[in-house]
Amino acid sequence: MDSLILANIRQRPTRTLVSVVGVALGVVLILVNTGLVRGMLNDRMKREKGVGGEIRFLRPGSGVLTTSSLPLDVRYADRLKQIEGVKEVSPIGAYIQGGGTGIGLEAVEGIEFDSYSAMSGLRIIEGRIFQNDNEVIVDDFKAAKSKAKIGNEIDVFGKKLKVVGIYSPPSGARIKMSLTAMQNYLASTNKCTMIMVKCVTPEKQEEIQKRINETLPGNTVQLIRDLPSFERAIPGIDGFIKTILVLSTIVSSLVILLAMYTTITERTREIGILKSLGASKRFIISVIEKEAITISLIGVSVGLIAAFLIGWVIGATTTLQVEFQFSWIAIATLIGLAAGIGGAFYPAVRAANQDAVKALSYE
Amino acid sequence: MPILQTDNLMMTYRVGKVDVHALRGVNLNVEKGEFVSIMGHSGSGKSTLLHILGGLLKPTGGKVIVDGEDLAAVSDAQRTDIRRRKIGFVFQRFNLFPTLTAEGNLKLAEHVHGTSGNAELRREVLRLLKLENKMKHKPLELSGGEQQRVAIARAVINRPAIILADEPTGNLDSENSEIVLQMLVQLNRDIGQTIVMITHNPEAAEIANRKVLMRDGQIVSN
Repeated sequence: MDSLILANIRQRPTRTLVSVVGVALGVVLILVNTGLVRGMLNDRMKREKGVGGEIRFLRPGSGVLTTSSLPLDVRYADRLKQIEGVKEVSPIGAYIQGGGTGIGLEAVEGIEFDSYSAMSGLRIIEGRIFQNDNEVIVDDFKAAKSKAKIGNEIDVFGKKLKVVGIYSPPSGARIKMSLTAMQNYLASTNKCTMIMVKCVTPEKQEEIQKRINETLPGNTVQLIRDLPSFERAIPGIDGFIKTILVLSTIVSSLVILLAMYTTITERTREIGILKSLGASKRFIISVIEKEAITISLIGVSVGLIAAFLIGWVIGATTTLQVEFQFSWIAIATLIGLAAGIGGAFYPAVRAANQDAVKALSYE
Repeated sequence: MPILQTDNLMMTYRVGKVDVHALRGVNLNVEKGEFVSIMGHSGSGKSTLLHILGGLLKPTGGKVIVDGEDLAAVSDAQRTDIRRRKIGFVFQRFNLFPTLTAEGNLKLAEHVHGTSGNAELRREVLRLLKLENKMKHKPLELSGGEQQRVAIARAVINRPAIILADEPTGNLDSENSEIVLQMLVQLNRDIGQTIVMITHNPEAAEIANRKVLMRDGQIVSN
């Protein structure tokens, strides 16, 4: 029977190719999307932790990844600095815009250079710091991966801003400008998104968090080490991923269903022959299902290779990171196979229930 | 006891609002090792009879007992199982799997039968049908006569109780027809294979041990 399945697959290369592409597409959709989301957010979180503070202070409901407004009064920085155990504070404005390559999102930060560099260890390695509203600095990673070289212009707030410096190590957003410039662009004088807090004794951060909550109640005081996992970092991301899963399953299932449906119509006579040989319904279903599983396995393999290639290309040509996780690879594989089995089931049952005499006389 | 027995076999098709009586009380006994040919004009009911004898159709009345099991009294699944174990079909249009080689077609039949294949029996059948050198060929690479011989090999490979041949020479020229008929005779004579063959061709019918003539859904000469 194995040779019958392989012979059928070889006999109809176009049908096989379309089915393989259908399953592969589903796998690619799942892996690249989840990989991009995970890569982008984990990279962002990693750089967030690289700012150097142990605590961040925000207005309730706002977050670095979810806001493009400046809801917090900068004057909180002075009040925070007076709290016992606080060594350094640095107000930061955050703005999220579409990625420069047209894929994903890109964050821009407005900072007070002195306090920020004191906290994070950020230093200019090429060029100089921003001096007016039309100037930005970028990290060395972005400078290496994109056209954001010194003297070039990049789009921020829909305007062309000039890159005047390159900094290292990467921390926070990859594009930084002065907080005052950001306030001007967003018409939010004396406002920021959050204030990073560095403790005198990092081991006592929970104690200081408690103290800040008591002194300035009604705000969000987060420990950087407790930043949420990527699934919870952006509201609705879980739903987005589920939608991708459902869409991938539907696309793959429909392609297999249509391919196998067409196949069994073409092979009506062969099904009649199998019946004349005494093949049971279960046998006929198993022949068609095994064919679908074989095609799905090829599709999953092609999809995995394609997803890794796409991930590599994205990583090599953009500042985006694609992080593949074993659990998502397993899920994509299972969905690819399940789509094949599910998509072929109706055509298989239909084939098994065909009238043997009519099938044998099918032209 | 006959290996094949029908008792007052009836088959009525519903075509629109009209009942078409394809079989009207057919009584037929075939002994083990017999070679029986069934003749009749188009519409005489011989194909319907063959399909019922092979368990591809369920009669609307009567009994059809194959090797002790009544095909009319069992479920579809049981009828399929009896067909798998006891019946081998040979068709006018050969009905080989075009994507498989001759050997692949035989192995598929063995697989459906649920055996891993008896290499010795396969060799014997192939020798008998003079197909030793054709096993790696696909059907389209074989002549009509060779294809029909492969189909016969497939039908006997699992040693069924009965071979049902539906116009086995209908698509062949006279030379290949003669070869195929001689093969059937040889199978019947050398390994005692029971064969029931439908044919329009009186010359083909002559090679059988016994001729049965059908008309209007009934056996008129036995």
